[in-house]
Amino acid sequence: MNVNELKTTAQLAMLDIPDPEKLAQAFTEMLENFSKMMEVDVEGLEPTTHALAQGNRLRNDTPRGTDESDALLARAPARKDRFFKIPNVL
Amino acid sequence: MTLLQGWKGVLSDDRTKENYKQYVTGWEEKIHSLLEFDIDRNAESAAAGPLAGVPFAVKDNIAVKNFNLTCGSKILETLNSPYTATAVERLQAAGARVVGKTNLDEFGMGSSTDNSALAQTNNPWNLNAVAGGSSGGSAAAVAAGLVPFALGSDTGGSVRQPASFCGCLGLKPTYGSVSRFGLVAYASSLEVIGVLAKEVDVMEAVYDIIAGRDEKDQSSVARPEVAPHTEIKKVGVLRQIAELSPAIEAAYQAAIEQVKSLGLEVVEIDIPALDYVVPAYYTIATAEASANLARYTGIRYGHRTADDSSMEQMVAASRNEGFGDEVKLRILLGTYVLRSGFQDQYYIRAQKIRTAIRNGFDEAFQAVDVMLTPVFPTQSFLRGEGELTPFQQKLADKFTAAANLAGIPALTYPTGVAGGLPTAMQLLAPDFAEHRMFELVRRLTDEQGNIAPVGYDEGWRK
Repeated sequence: MNVNELKTTAQLAMLDIPDPEKLAQAFTEMLENFSKMMEVDVEGLEPTTHALAQGNRLRNDTPRGTDESDALLARAPARKDRFFKIPNVL
Repeated sequence: MTLLQGWKGVLSDDRTKENYKQYVTGWEEKIHSLLEFDIDRNAESAAAGPLAGVPFAVKDNIAVKNFNLTCGSKILETLNSPYTATAVERLQAAGARVVGKTNLDEFGMGSSTDNSALAQTNNPWNLNAVAGGSSGGSAAAVAAGLVPFALGSDTGGSVRQPASFCGCLGLKPTYGSVSRFGLVAYASSLEVIGVLAKEVDVMEAVYDIIAGRDEKDQSSVARPEVAPHTEIKKVGVLRQIAELSPAIEAAYQAAIEQVKSLGLEVVEIDIPALDYVVPAYYTIATAEASANLARYTGIRYGHRTADDSSMEQMVAASRNEGFGDEVKLRILLGTYVLRSGFQDQYYIRAQKIRTAIRNGFDEAFQAVDVMLTPVFPTQSFLRGEGELTPFQQKLADKFTAAANLAGIPALTYPTGVAGGLPTAMQLLAPDFAEHRMFELVRRLTDEQGNIAPVGYDEGWRK
């Protein structure tokens, strides 16, 4: 595991890490621990995504509950009317 | 005696209200378990019901309207919750009142609560010892008698381990049996809202109120109409348990003897896949965390950097400034194991091991009614020299995280005190057999007396 790999991963996670060396040791330690899983014979085992999964639950695409959009919008760090404001992307 | 009788009047009488504030303030100067405390703020929500007038506290990653929802993180430090979690609403409908929000490891990631960016919570038994985590504030508050019960969340042991460190009961219910609506997501397939309490009757009453299907959480499940039996004849113990501290080893052996003295048969169980709980758990938990925490961008809510040079830079810098090191580490690990080319090696493999662990428990519960294991290999640890490193803390999650991978319920209970700090053990049961564990804990703790730190007091309530 080199620091460049860590930087690439951080980019994918949209996360600035000004000091990658600081995290590198803990990161490598955990990946080594994850590698222990290679010892296990997983032949014939299906992956479990959820314990007690009960299949897909579908419902009609109709609004329910109370409209809390004003309260949620009020918590935005920057906003104009009912829009979130972000830096220029064009 | 009626449930919680001593607590029911404390919020309605001016004299006891003042006593209550003084008692809480006295403790809080030492333990800092609560990020917010206000006994009057949600007074109007008071309803009649079995918990009428009873105060409780809620981990600060569970939404309560009018209170903050910081998750112990700088990124959400100023966020005020616009709504209330279903589990909390159900308790409010039963008459209970939220009086405070409790400290936690940032986003529930940690085993000491020292990963909180907002406060340092101390163990009420020894102020230099950690409260455990991530629900350390809830555990410390209950253990100090500030509230009769508190809600926490348990992703890999985050209710049970701090409960064991502070000397109270901790319940991780069956996955899905309590709605996660209003719980800030960390690892969605593993976590569940749980209960910390001093008395098993209180824990049972609270669980019965918060459990049940909720339309707002598509993964919530109704409890079966015919509950699993509560009669216990056989108790399973794991064949191979190593690396326990002397105090925990002694407590474990004593617990096995106590089970035998109740006339129950002890059966050795072997689940080889349990050797891989920690890597499977951390692979899945970090993968889910990397996706769940992608929502913190500085755009819709939470901390936003001053660096507005570009959209990408604004997001990456906001996340850097807002998240602590442990959260960053887990986001990076989760992103890595989900990267194309690595998925089969890590994430898919972890999910297959998860299946093996679940199968192992299914088989075990054909042979026994409950299982008894340690909670954590050590008691609460002191800060400074000899402290468990963050990596050692993760390795020590093996007994608790197994229940999250399998989805089964687990209950930890105090067994005594050694060296001035509590010891505890864990029970595991099949899906929805929470009441079987309540029954056994009642029998195991019947003659135990009050396990409480110096300074714990109930006299102010009279």
